[in-house]
This record gives sequence, structure tokens and C-alpha cells, in this order.
Amino acid sequence: MTDTGPASLAVAGPSNGAAGAGNGGDMSRSAGRRGGWPYWVAVAVSVVGLVVTGVLVWVSASTYSSNENRLLNLRARDAGALLSGAYLSVQTPLASAAALADATDGDMTKFRTFIGRSVGPQGKGQYVSASLWRLGSGQARELTAVGIPPVLASSPARATSFFMRAAQARTLAVTGLLSAPQPRLGFAFTSPGLTGHYVAYAESELPASRRSRFQSSSSFADLDYALYLGRSQNNSNLLVTDLTHLPISGRRASIAIPFGNSVLTFVVTPRRPLAGSFANHLPWYIAIVGVLLSLGAGALTARLIERRNQAERLARSLELIADENRRLYAEQRTIAQTLQHALLPERLPKIQGIETSARYETGVEGVDIGGDWYDLIALDDRRLLLVVGDVSGRGVRAAATMAALRFAIQAYAAQDDPPDEILSKLSKLVNVGRSGQLATILCALVDVEARRLTVTSAGHLPPLLISDGTGTFVQSEVGVPIGVRSGATYTSTSIDTPPAATLLAFTDGLVERRGESIDEGLARLRRAALTNHVPLDELVGRLIEELRLDGGDDDTAIAALRWLD
Amino acid sequence: MERTAEMTFDVVDVDERTVKVTLSGELDITNVDKLAAAVAPALERGPDRLVVDVGDLRFADSSAIALWVQWATSGPDVELRDVPPLLRRVVASMGLSGTFKVGP
Repeated sequence: MTDTGPASLAVAGPSNGAAGAGNGGDMSRSAGRRGGWPYWVAVAVSVVGLVVTGVLVWVSASTYSSNENRLLNLRARDAGALLSGAYLSVQTPLASAAALADATDGDMTKFRTFIGRSVGPQGKGQYVSASLWRLGSGQARELTAVGIPPVLASSPARATSFFMRAAQARTLAVTGLLSAPQPRLGFAFTSPGLTGHYVAYAESELPASRRSRFQSSSSFADLDYALYLGRSQNNSNLLVTDLTHLPISGRRASIAIPFGNSVLTFVVTPRRPLAGSFANHLPWYIAIVGVLLSLGAGALTARLIERRNQAERLARSLELIADENRRLYAEQRTIAQTLQHALLPERLPKIQGIETSARYETGVEGVDIGGDWYDLIALDDRRLLLVVGDVSGRGVRAAATMAALRFAIQAYAAQDDPPDEILSKLSKLVNVGRSGQLATILCALVDVEARRLTVTSAGHLPPLLISDGTGTFVQSEVGVPIGVRSGATYTSTSIDTPPAATLLAFTDGLVERRGESIDEGLARLRRAALTNHVPLDELVGRLIEELRLDGGDDDTAIAALRWLD
Repeated sequence: MERTAEMTFDVVDVDERTVKVTLSGELDITNVDKLAAAVAPALERGPDRLVVDVGDLRFADSSAIALWVQWATSGPDVELRDVPPLLRRVVASMGLSGTFKVGP
């Protein structure tokens, strides 16, 4: 919208272009350098995810492990309580039998009757063999036996030393493992009677190969176990187990159970996870899910980074394109304005007694050249022809018609044709049927000395005449616009002008608003013209500024003159 | 960059000799060519009358008026119908009241 002359265009155009290209290069280079988010962020996301997964796996695995250990210890203690009960069932009959022998002074019949209920083949009774012994003068003598013969009887010396120790134990005494076709364990309970020591002795057979399983309905069915006599877990001490390979390795719990003058060591290991298989597998689930999530998050991050970088690249290139468009638009607009101004008078004529002014303003929108123009033609030293015109449409065609009309008017004016005849001749130059164009033209012939104004209009808005604080639109008969009919006729209207009058001729861009009557626009112009008491040039500038403030999108041309006295 | 004003139109052959064009919205330099192209086939059939209903037209610039004048000079009698006061004033100010019939 600034008034750029041809000279500045010639300089501004190419230098703008060079600056734009340089900018573009800079931006694309910086785009490559900056590059948005780096891809190692995606790797970092994956790594962080994997580390977190590892920690979770470790936590869940160690929680599981300590949980299992706790449960296993509880189960081992339960089993110990059960075994203690079994100990009572071994000790009680023997203790009673020893007391009976003591009370009856070794009545063998009563002993046999009493103990016989507890003797039977392996699995039927507590003992496979029970016998009553008398211990005296450093020797043990077998009085009677029930069931199969005791292994210990075959080795009197060993029996004696065992019973001697049993007599001092005052509790159930347990032999070591006794070898026989099937290994046995012997128990002795001694009665410290008045007439000497009676020893109730019994032997139990261990299960075949010392292998036995808990029953599947047992509450310990989920455990493997091994039971040792004594504190050491040697195979030679093994009483019974359900395992084929010993010693037990891996997770295990052991508990020592008092057993007469000896100790049983009970070792258990879980056959399957005590807290359930889900708890056991949980660390694996966490690991698998965690690894998948970490890799997924890494991949997703990489994808997002790529998208974002793509979007940034796109935005930068769009920015470049927009810059280029703005530059081209500005350049084109400058060219249009320059051309338009080139088609308008370079300088206004000087005539004694009046001052003149004129302005052309491009519409705010578009880069097209408009079809509005003004002209001030000195006919002689006292007469002047003031012209404003408006060719419909825009672009080069409108400008070409405008130029043709303007120069034709100058030619007809030069041969001193009156305005009505000039317009009539112009009507033969333009044909709306051929070109689609109309032109409205106002010719005002001003006789400066005679203060006489002759107005002729081809479809154009009337000029405003201001004098002595009043403004009047000079009404004349309005003929058809140029282009409607070849050879149309026009009628001029003449008036005398008051002293120091100001004449303003303009195109509709100055007064026309969408959705508003022309009359309102004309009234606005009159108000503005009457309230600005300034030199003519300034008045014209202010009218353009004030009336186009709210964005007239049409071209506007104004031509004005003022009598100086 | 160039905005296009919103305008709709409807071209109807009322009878063999009459074409009716109904316009609404804003008709200006940005869309006047579209309307010209749409009405051209109907004009080629040489109707006697062209009725332009402008009752719903909110705005018409000088290119729109130039188009109507062009229609009028190409043969048929052009009648602007249901003309809003603002447009009526523009037509009068341009000295075109005799070029086409400005109906009620």
C-alpha cells in the first residue's frame, strides 16, 4: 500500500529475491543440523524399561523365595509335631510293658499278653518283635519274646552294652540301625525295679529300601522328605525317604525332633511351589511383559520421534514456501501498483487561481491492478478538464481499457470536444457484449476564471462541491456507463461555483460498503470533507485514510481542485 | 490469496421464451465469471426475456452489473425482479434504469 516508485521496484525486486533464496538455504541447513529429537532417546526409553523390569523381576523373585522358605519352615514344623506324636506311640507301650514287668516281677505271660497287641508284621503293629530282658550282674538275659526274634539277641555283648546305657537314660533308648534282611530300629525302655532292671525291648522294621511316600491325600503330599536318625544327614543314618537321590539339594528346611535319647533329623523340600505356580512364574511373567513393554515403548518412542521430526521438517518447508509466496505476492503487488501509477498522470497541471490534488489508492486485497483512474487536463490557461473513471473488473484487461479511455479522453480534449461529445465518442470504444466491461466516467469541465462548472456523467457518482461550510453533490443527468450502448448520448449540467469552492470527484471505492446504501457512504464523505479544514493535498489524504479505515477492498481514485480566492 | 464471495444461483427455463435466474449471496468480481458461464447456454437459445431474481442478493459490485448489462445487450429484455433498495439505488446512480427493467 505504500507508494513504491518504479525506481525502487527495480532495486527492490531482485534484491528481495536474492535475500529470500539466501534465507531458504540457511533454514534448510539449520534444519539438518537441529534434526529434532535424537533417536538415542528411544534406546534410552527401552533401556530404562529393561532396568525397571529387571528390578521388578528381582523383587518378585526374592519375595517369592522368602515366602517359599517361610512356608516350608512352617510345614516342616507341622511335620515335626506329627512325628513327635509318632514317638509317643512307640514309647508308650514299651514304658507300660516295663512297668508291668517290674510290678509282676517279670511275669512273662502278662508281658506277652500286654505287648502282643502292639506286635505284628510290618505295617500291622508298631513292632515286628518285642522281648523282655532282665539286666543283672553286668549281663542281659532274654526272658521271653513275641513276634520274630530280635536281631539284637544274636549279639549278646552288644545287647548288654546297649541295655546298660538304656538303664541310665531313664527314657526311651534307641539303637543305631540294625542290619537284618530288612533294616530295623530297636527301642528299649528300662524299669528301675527293686529286684533288678527289666528291659522292655522292641524292634520296628524300616520300609523296604527305606523308601516310603506320604499318602497323596496327606497334607504333606506336596513335600519330599528324608528322615535321619541323629543329627548328620548321612545315608548310613537314613531311616526313610520318598526320594531316590540324596542328599536333598535346593530349597529345603530341616528340623531336629527329640526321640528318646536320640534325635531325628527331618529334612523337607517342596515338590511344587507352596504358594502356587502363579507366584512361582510371576517373575517370568514380569520379565516377559516388561521386556515386551520396554521394546514396545522404545519402538513407539522411535516412531513418535520420527513423526515429530517429519512434522517439523514439513512445517519448516511449509514455512519456506509461505515465505516465498509472501515474497512473490509482495513483488507482484508492487509490480501492479507500479504499473497502475505509471498509467496515471505523472504531474498535475498548474493553472493560475486554483490548486489541484489527486490520489490513487490500491484495494487492500489482491494483487490485481485495478481499473480506476483520474486525470486533470489543462485545456488552456484558464480551463481544465477533471476526469475520474472506473472500469469494471480488475487485472490487465481492466487496466488496458482504462489506459485506452484515458488517452482517448486526452485526444478528444485536445481537439476541444465538449464533455458530452467526448463521452459519446468513448461509448464507441467499449462494448460490454464483447469485453464484459463497463466504465463509469465523470467529466467536469472547469472554467477557473468564470467559476463555472460543467458536469457530465456516464453512470458515475456525482462530485462533491464544498463551499462556505456546506457540501453539495452536483446533480446532473446520469447517462449510461460507457460500454452499454455505442453512440449513447450524454447531457451536461452547468453550475456557477461560489468563491473558494472545493470540488472533489471520486470513484465508488471511497464511499461504497457492502450492506450499506451508497447514500450513507456519500453522507460520510460529506461529513469528513466538511470537518477537515486543511490544505487540499492533506484533505485528499485524510479522506482516503478516514473513509477507507474499515477496509474498503476496492480501488479508489480521487481528483480535487480548489479555487484559491 | 484470492477469497471467493459466497453466491448461489439457479437457472430455470420458465417457458420457451423466458429464462429465470435466481441469485442469492454476494455477487462480485470473484465469482461473476462462474455465473456468466452458467447462464451462457440459456442465452444461446435466444430467449426473449431474462428475469433475474435478486431478492436474496446482498451485494452486487460493478462487474455483476456489467454482466447484467451484457445480458441485456445480447438480445433479451432483462428484468431485475425483487430488487433490494440498496441495489435499486446503485442501478439508478449508474444511469442504468433504462437499460433493464427494474421490477418490483
